[in-house]
Amino acid sequence: MRFIVRRLLLFVAALFGVSVVVFAALRILPGDVASVMAGLNSPASRVEALREQFGLNRPLVVQYADWAEGLLRGDFGTSILTGRSVTSLIAARASITFPLIVLGLLVAIMIGVPLGVAATLARSDAARTAFHVAGLIGGAIPALWGGLLLILLFARGTGLIGLFPSQGFPLDGWAAPGQAVWSLILPALTVGIIVGASLMRYTRSALGDIAGSGRIDMAMACGMTRAQAVTGVGLRLAMPQLVSVIGLTFAEMITGVMVIENLFALPGIGSGLVTDVGNRDLIAVQSELFMLAAFFLLVGLIVDLLHRALDPRLATAADATEVIA
Amino acid sequence: MSDNNGAHGQSGATTDSSLEGRAKTQKNGPKWWLGAVIGVIVAIAIIVGVNLAKPNAGAQGGNPSTVETGGNAADIVTIGLKLAPTNLDIRNTSGSALDQVLIGNVYEGLVARDGNNQVVPSIAKSWEESKDGLTYTFHLNDNMTFSNGDALTAEDVAWSINQLIKNQYHDADSLSMVKSVAADDDKNTVTITLKTANSNLLWTLTGRPGLVFDKDATYDAKTEAIGSGPYTVAKFVANDSITLKANPRYWGSHKAKTATVVVKYLADDNAAVNALKSGDVQVLAPITENLAEPFTSDSEHYTVKAGDDTDKYVMAFNSKGKNTSDKRVRQAIRYAINHEELIASRGGADKALGGPIPSLDPGYEDLTGLYPHDEAKAKALMQEAGYSTDKPLKLTLTYANIYGTELGDQLRSQLAKIGIDLKVNVVEFSTWLQDVYTNKDYDISLVDHNESHDFYQWADPTYYYNYDNKEVQRLYAQAIAATSDDQRDELLAKAAKIVSEDAPADWLFNYRVTTAWANGVSGFPVNLNQTLLPLYNVTYTK
Repeated sequence: MRFIVRRLLLFVAALFGVSVVVFAALRILPGDVASVMAGLNSPASRVEALREQFGLNRPLVVQYADWAEGLLRGDFGTSILTGRSVTSLIAARASITFPLIVLGLLVAIMIGVPLGVAATLARSDAARTAFHVAGLIGGAIPALWGGLLLILLFARGTGLIGLFPSQGFPLDGWAAPGQAVWSLILPALTVGIIVGASLMRYTRSALGDIAGSGRIDMAMACGMTRAQAVTGVGLRLAMPQLVSVIGLTFAEMITGVMVIENLFALPGIGSGLVTDVGNRDLIAVQSELFMLAAFFLLVGLIVDLLHRALDPRLATAADATEVIA
Repeated sequence: MSDNNGAHGQSGATTDSSLEGRAKTQKNGPKWWLGAVIGVIVAIAIIVGVNLAKPNAGAQGGNPSTVETGGNAADIVTIGLKLAPTNLDIRNTSGSALDQVLIGNVYEGLVARDGNNQVVPSIAKSWEESKDGLTYTFHLNDNMTFSNGDALTAEDVAWSINQLIKNQYHDADSLSMVKSVAADDDKNTVTITLKTANSNLLWTLTGRPGLVFDKDATYDAKTEAIGSGPYTVAKFVANDSITLKANPRYWGSHKAKTATVVVKYLADDNAAVNALKSGDVQVLAPITENLAEPFTSDSEHYTVKAGDDTDKYVMAFNSKGKNTSDKRVRQAIRYAINHEELIASRGGADKALGGPIPSLDPGYEDLTGLYPHDEAKAKALMQEAGYSTDKPLKLTLTYANIYGTELGDQLRSQLAKIGIDLKVNVVEFSTWLQDVYTNKDYDISLVDHNESHDFYQWADPTYYYNYDNKEVQRLYAQAIAATSDDQRDELLAKAAKIVSEDAPADWLFNYRVTTAWANGVSGFPVNLNQTLLPLYNVTYTK
């Protein structure tokens, strides 16, 4: 219990730290939203008037206090440029990015885990080398290039086999669920292949460790075949490790899929963030970054708590050494 | 056994090899492999099959130009553009993306302009100008309405312009010479009185300053738009798309021919080309010329055309910069730049431009002969200024990343030959705005000035060019005060020539926008379509 309280306090402290760092870091950027709005044919006086109107001339401490106070009330502010609440902006973008990540991870799991198992099962040196090389190549593919290749192969209009749309999200969004999923398939495949390759290497090494520890041999001694032992016992033992890898990958991918979003013209979180930074819409950017950081921290918190729930040994160890995970 | 553990194998973990031996004999491995191989073969078979079947399917239904039963106009036309507006607030937010999609489609001005950049009637059906050029009387059309049903009256017109001046909305300073704007509802006229004559007034009113808004409507201008044009904004997704629906209450002669026009913003050039190929958009404007080849060579299905524009790629030399204040250096750079090579590498549609005024603007004159490509002359000038290839002059070129890196690389290699070591600094547009435009802290800048009638920049010593020539300022003031167009054009041409001779900048080229569309599309404007894109005439016949 003490651990949980301490962990929660740390979570809050980290959030506060993040808010300060994010706010300060963005103020170092040259340029501001007022000059972006005023553009190329406005006099300096207009830029000044806009700055005044947006409250950009107030002392930074006041601006920070204003923003932080909103955060406490759950109000993430209003984007100066789009005039919409940051929450609704994020929600609209997340409704593309999150399904894309989930689909991508499904593809990755379908590719990575079976291949990882196969790599562990492979007997001949040649086969293992082949898996090893495949894993390296898959992991080394630049997302942009992989995506272009898939477009050349499978995109409607351009591809050898015109099956999937190569860009854009349907205008009606998730109101047209079929089209929406359809438009996410190529991007999800691109993500999935790359992440799948690294997942395959994780799977293989996790299974290798377990096999090395004698558990597979034990299972085989109990009468299982090697394949049964690896898939039945090894995979089950490796599962917690794989789940945390997948969890962390999920968090990473929120901004990591940005290149893919741009290539396929999907207005997701990553590409939206880049646009907002480009326009110096700092209220939007700082709230977006804050939410992302909070999400990362939350994932970390949940993983920590889950691990403790799953493995009671951690509790005793931590309490004995006063180490906070 | 240990062999099977890959990199993590530990020989200590091995057990009775007979176990392994037994596992081997029972292996279902071959079947697993067999399954995989069969899977791959089936997949390839499907791919090949679908691929072979595709051309037939395409010939039957997917080919728009073979359908000759005509008159089958589509209800929806989707258009791909590049630069997206971040909001719809045309009174406050800069950027030609807003002018492009809203003016003439959703909002209408007191007057409008045609594809040749000439002023034509819009809300006003006619106008008179007093002899001294100080009073303009506009006669408005009858029975005009906004899309919300409100009547559009002279009152709305005067209110819109007065609000612009009072609240200093975007472009308000272009109306700084306006004394008063008065409406006469009975006569249905609007009278604009000026403090000083201004030959640019009518043209200025075709843009944002002349737009007419509904005085009585309240709406969130950032996400909604209520105007009097042939279209209304049905849906707006920032940085992604705008859906325009025909305005059922439209009053005028530009009635929308297509019920729904969807504008999609495709920032990535490859994604844009894919969208046109796959039929997700029927028109693409602009298309990067170097990516247009598959469409130009497929004239059975696509049309590709370049239009005239007022886009000037201005490479400005800071006239008060440490090294660029030396006229010899500026002239040397102009001689050193090989414009033909630059234009050719971009695909060849752009036009050489020797001075600050493009062909669609008043006062245009071909000035490309002033500084022809001449490396020897450039080297001599640099020598005079004290630099050579052995002792190069270090200069920094700052420009926004939207223009790509190739242009900077080309300029660097062209200038290296005459002893200039050009450092290319590609930054975000907002950084460029801060460093170059606001703080004037730069050696050389590059930006696409797509505005029309923007010669004032050279007559304003506080503009970021830092260009201060009293003669140019005097000529420009005279041109603005001129009461006849010919007189104005002559004065502007004279001023433009002086500017070009002074070499405060090099005009790399006049960018001409290339537009590509699927055959069956008609009525899409080709000229000026990055700032002025009336869509009422656009149709698509499958």
